[in-house]
Amino acid sequence: MYYYGLAVIRRVSPVGSKKVFHMPRDASTDKPLVELVNVAKIYPPDIVALEDVSLRIYKGEIFFLTGMSGAGKTTLIKLICRLETPTRGLIEVAGRDLSRISPAGIQRMRQKIGIAYQDFRLLEKQTVLQNIAMAMEVTYASTKAIHARVDELLALLNLSDKRDKLTGELSRGEQQRVALARAAANGPSLLLADEPTGNLDPAATELVINLFRHLNEKNGSTIVVATHDKSIYAETEHRVMDLRKGHLSAHPNRAPRQIELFEA
Amino acid sequence: MHFLAYIVRQTGKNLRQTWGTQVMTLLTVTLSVLLFAFFFLIYTNMLRASARLGDDLRLIVYLDQEIPEQKRPEIEKKIRDFGPVEKIIFVSRTEAFSRLSAQLDKEKDVLNDLGPDFLPPSIEVYPLKNLQDLTKISQFSDFLLTLPHAAKVQSGSDWLRRFGDFTNLLQVVVLLSGVLLIISMTFIISYTLRLTVVSRQGELEILRLLGATSAYIRLPLLLEGMLQGFLGSSLGLGALYLLYQWIASRFSGPGFLNLFDFAFFPPELTAAILLASVVLCTGGSLFSIRRFIRI
Repeated sequence: MYYYGLAVIRRVSPVGSKKVFHMPRDASTDKPLVELVNVAKIYPPDIVALEDVSLRIYKGEIFFLTGMSGAGKTTLIKLICRLETPTRGLIEVAGRDLSRISPAGIQRMRQKIGIAYQDFRLLEKQTVLQNIAMAMEVTYASTKAIHARVDELLALLNLSDKRDKLTGELSRGEQQRVALARAAANGPSLLLADEPTGNLDPAATELVINLFRHLNEKNGSTIVVATHDKSIYAETEHRVMDLRKGHLSAHPNRAPRQIELFEA
Repeated sequence: MHFLAYIVRQTGKNLRQTWGTQVMTLLTVTLSVLLFAFFFLIYTNMLRASARLGDDLRLIVYLDQEIPEQKRPEIEKKIRDFGPVEKIIFVSRTEAFSRLSAQLDKEKDVLNDLGPDFLPPSIEVYPLKNLQDLTKISQFSDFLLTLPHAAKVQSGSDWLRRFGDFTNLLQVVVLLSGVLLIISMTFIISYTLRLTVVSRQGELEILRLLGATSAYIRLPLLLEGMLQGFLGSSLGLGALYLLYQWIASRFSGPGFLNLFDFAFFPPELTAAILLASVVLCTGGSLFSIRRFIRI
């Protein structure tokens, strides 16, 4: 059974706000930014993380991937940025088959993909500024541009006063926001966020959602959020899909108006 | 521009992060270059001295009686038939006496009691400059001894043989120190870079996740090796030059150094040693990068 979600016609703020996004699109004619066809991932010896997953994520879309711990969300994120390779199936990003891209090509692609890891992957002995700057330094951005961008992101995430602190001295919630800032630093075409609000209080969660909205509106970034935090997708009109034991399906609580499914 | 600035900045950062090891590496490279260059300098000077000695080579045939003028062309022909000769000079007893007298200069009084006939007549044979082979000199010497009235042949071949043996020994020492230089440079640099890589393991992993290209990660490490090679060899050659200047000022005037016309490396050879060190250290870096970094 293959499921493809159609992009919604009207897009609203994920949390509370009724702001309308200007992203009317006809998904059936658009080329997807990310496409998975019959993807399976089996870890040795025989642990099935994903089974026959087919999915299209369109440019400019905010896509929520839900599911319990161990459902396969992180695996799916890792497959999209080729931190893992699928056991079976095809994965395309921006129309390119990931299995056919050279290692150098993958590195260049990752510069355009922002990834916020569940375990943050920060250098604790470096400052917040240095950690975020790393993402831009790999693209050889100028120091001036890096500092301006870091200041902007820290202001958006209410972390301006932590700019020169070592990340090891920050709380988990603050570290999580630093990881998100780093993922957003290059204004990525695609942002993959793995449990981005797992350590955040409601106020900080609102900041993160605002960051996503900002990236989506200003840069047209496609945002994929893997989460089990209902508060960030409960009110949204964006696509929400559920992973359960490696199988992808429409979220059970989503209205048919928002998520239409068809069999490929 | 940003690319270059980054490479330089990151190299500086790497050097700062492992400065203790970097200093030790620099010292090792410096000492290796100094050791090699020291022996190489002596060796090149010995070779030059050896060549000059070959140029001055002459064989003196002492005779038990003078060769009459009319017989000299015949003897000269015999000698030239045996081997290529630059010139042949017949020295009479009187000429030998006047030469010695001239050499003694103010001390020539010592010859007053001796008659002008006390020195033997001789034939001075100057072989062509390409005759440097000790065996051939020995053969030539043996032939000259068969000439009529030849009493003794002085060729200096024993001295030349000893000099040649010493030069050969030095050649072995230069080769050994060269091998030591190669091993120490490549291994030490490789080991130092391995430490850099280990100390930055976490950072390199994150850089990989952020899309850092191979050049972004590898070039600073490569530059680190090149810098070590350049600085180490510059210091080593600089130290050798100071040592050379010190020896030259201490032992100036007639003596050993003047005898051998002791000179420092020409600029081209200095540049070649420097370049070879940089290449060796870069090779060591490459080995480490290939082995320990997977991008």
